[in-house]
Amino acid sequence: MELTGSILVLTGAFFLFSAGLGLLRMPDTFTRIQAGTKASTLGNILVLAGLGFYHPDWALKLLVVAYFVLMTNPLSSHALSRAAHAIRTPMAPSTMVDALREEGDRQGNGDVS
Amino acid sequence: MNEQAPTDGKGIRGLPVLWLLLFILWLIVNASLATPILITGAVISFAIALIFARRSNVWHIAVTPRSAWHFLTYTSVFFTELVKANLNMLRYVYSPRIDIHPGIVRVRIRLKSPIGRLALSNSIALTPGSLVMDVRGETMFVHWLDVKTTDPDQATEMIVAPFEKHLEAVFG
Repeated sequence: MELTGSILVLTGAFFLFSAGLGLLRMPDTFTRIQAGTKASTLGNILVLAGLGFYHPDWALKLLVVAYFVLMTNPLSSHALSRAAHAIRTPMAPSTMVDALREEGDRQGNGDVS
Repeated sequence: MNEQAPTDGKGIRGLPVLWLLLFILWLIVNASLATPILITGAVISFAIALIFARRSNVWHIAVTPRSAWHFLTYTSVFFTELVKANLNMLRYVYSPRIDIHPGIVRVRIRLKSPIGRLALSNSIALTPGSLVMDVRGETMFVHWLDVKTTDPDQATEMIVAPFEKHLEAVFG
């Protein structure tokens, strides 16, 4: 029981570490936000699940916490990336296409800038 | 299940769903079934649900066995995709040279209800290399970590399709 919990927490910590490494290694703002969002969400859920194995009586509360993380993490990354795009944060040189900017230019009003 | 007639045309229909949700949340947080706690929780969650159900029609969700089944399927699809996305991300992060071609593409969404769109964009944000940047009308702008196609239809097929058919059955 405790061993399973420990392994889960350790796996979660590994994903969280990867999220941090992704933040350092990715080329531009948006890809960094992506790396941070995904790996940290799964990492969080795994850590919470591991805690659930340690304290089975917390299980429901941990489930609620996991659900909140699942709901709010994408929301914040969405808000951050939208704001970053609106102030024209430069994108990586390897960027292929920016449909949102094209749309803004086509409408002639640009973004919030 | 929540087929209560709207009393004043201001959309009280969402009330039961929201009430039940808040009440369950209260019970979980309290972890107790004592009578005073039950009564307090019922009253408070009813008041909050009343306020929010009157102010917006976001909570008009018809709960039927079919939509519950689709919600379960959606959950399992979602978790599979979440794990796949993370393994993908690990592959990028630990590769010696990060060789990606990011970009923002447009996809089409068929979902109408605000909460369905919320669920869809949250799912997209957590699954393979995509992140919703903006929604304008029927078009959703998605930042894609490794652009495979710039055609809206193909991009829709690749990014949105796995979730949309289940979410459509749940939220419409």
